[in-house]
Amino acid sequence: MDKDRVIAEINWPGTAVLVFWGLAWEAAVRSGLLRYEYLPAPSAIALGFGELASQGILAPDIAHTLIAVAIGWAVAIVLGVSLGFLLGLSPTARRYSLASIEVLRPMPGVAFAPVGLLLFGFSLKTEMVVTILPVLWPVLVNTIGGVTGVHQRLYDVGRTFRLSRKDTILRIILPAAMPPIVVGARISLGLALVLAVVAEMVGNPEGLGYGIVREQQALRPDLMFAYIVTVGLIGIVLNAGMLALAEALFPSFRQLRGGP
Amino acid sequence: MTSTEERSDADEKAVGPAFECRSVTVEFPHKFGRKRIIEDISFLVRSGEFLTIVGPSGTGKTTLLRAMGGLTPTVSGSVLVHGKELDGPPEDVVIVFQDYSNALLQWRTIAANVAFGIERTLERQETEQRVRDALALVGLERNADDYPWQLSGGMQQRVQIARALASRPAVMLMDEPFAALDAMTKASMQDELLRVRDRTGTSFVFITHDIEEAVYLGDRIAVLTGSPGRIDRIFEIGLPAPRDQLSTRQLPKFLEFRYAVHQAIGRVHG
Repeated sequence: MDKDRVIAEINWPGTAVLVFWGLAWEAAVRSGLLRYEYLPAPSAIALGFGELASQGILAPDIAHTLIAVAIGWAVAIVLGVSLGFLLGLSPTARRYSLASIEVLRPMPGVAFAPVGLLLFGFSLKTEMVVTILPVLWPVLVNTIGGVTGVHQRLYDVGRTFRLSRKDTILRIILPAAMPPIVVGARISLGLALVLAVVAEMVGNPEGLGYGIVREQQALRPDLMFAYIVTVGLIGIVLNAGMLALAEALFPSFRQLRGGP
Repeated sequence: MTSTEERSDADEKAVGPAFECRSVTVEFPHKFGRKRIIEDISFLVRSGEFLTIVGPSGTGKTTLLRAMGGLTPTVSGSVLVHGKELDGPPEDVVIVFQDYSNALLQWRTIAANVAFGIERTLERQETEQRVRDALALVGLERNADDYPWQLSGGMQQRVQIARALASRPAVMLMDEPFAALDAMTKASMQDELLRVRDRTGTSFVFITHDIEEAVYLGDRIAVLTGSPGRIDRIFEIGLPAPRDQLSTRQLPKFLEFRYAVHQAIGRVHG
């Protein structure tokens, strides 16, 4: 990407509004309109970043949360896509399983934290118990939708060119279902981060989630907010990375998702 | 690819009719029992012939074409390709569908779309060569790297035709391929199709509800009427080749055939 395109892609008015709120927040705290004990000024949060980084605890916390996100997301994608294909391709499998899915789907993943704690103690495994199930659904449901949504005409095309069952799946269904699968994967990635952080707050005492709780209990709102902002920034970076990856892998994705 | 090679190719296949329907009947399940869509349809397609099938909507045109392409099973009668009865889509026969935007692979470039039918069986070089030839035949050499959505409707339908041509079929089955195109695009596509037939020796079965189109393109016209649809008449169209959008359409004979086909359809429906 060249420099001009990067500049053109930045939403300047949006950025200006963001800067304005940041400055307003700073001014409100400094003028005493908001009390510092509860809400640190942006400058204090920035200093908090420096403190955490110099103590060398921010990087390992980020690494831990990212690993949890990566594992949870990867398991969800492998399970979601393969189960989604099975259910998408077999009306019988769908008929037998959709009721179970609709019952399981609304269950909050965090509710399984105590189960995870009983089974695995304070560990990454507990984090996975909380993360994987909720992260699975968007991938699974979107894969089923993508597979069942393949236009009948494409099957006709496959037949007139005498494709085998395997080629029909690999050359027609998989690429045709890819846009909704990528959308599901993107939703799941955001969810995985949220759930990993929640799991670290209530279960596994490690990573960014635990950092938030720890600094809250240490009565250091500036450091606590530094952790919160870090989680937010990671969310933004993961989402942007996911989009860039999708567009690099599927040049037509930009068009198919209806974007600019 | 040279035209002599294609000719000899086509000649080899010219032993007997390229295609034959013997009292083909198709039924679909219906609310109560089964509904007969087409009944007792018999005709031949000669090698290199352009056969148009014309009929009003609801007479089972598409069903007939799908049965010929092996996509829809017949309940009785048989479809023969080079004298061999088919079960399932036969080699050497390719269908071109009416709804080109659904029939193209939106995630593939134009060249990759055209390669779709041959890339599994041919070497890469041969595939690329055939894709280039097929794109040249329909005048899309310069769009090889575009995506379907970047092309106009007429160009997208050409991509589908090129994709069918790349597999060098003996018979191309076309289901109202120009129905969604504007009149000018349609006229140029008709001429293009006749040129392709002359150059490749492919047989065409071309379904349309447009009587003028049927007369202009066809060596023969089969008229499909009724419900269930039957073929009552086949007209031999003796219009001079090459056909020309202006002069051919003004020939008294053209008007006579147009009238006769209208009559043949109207007699049943009037």
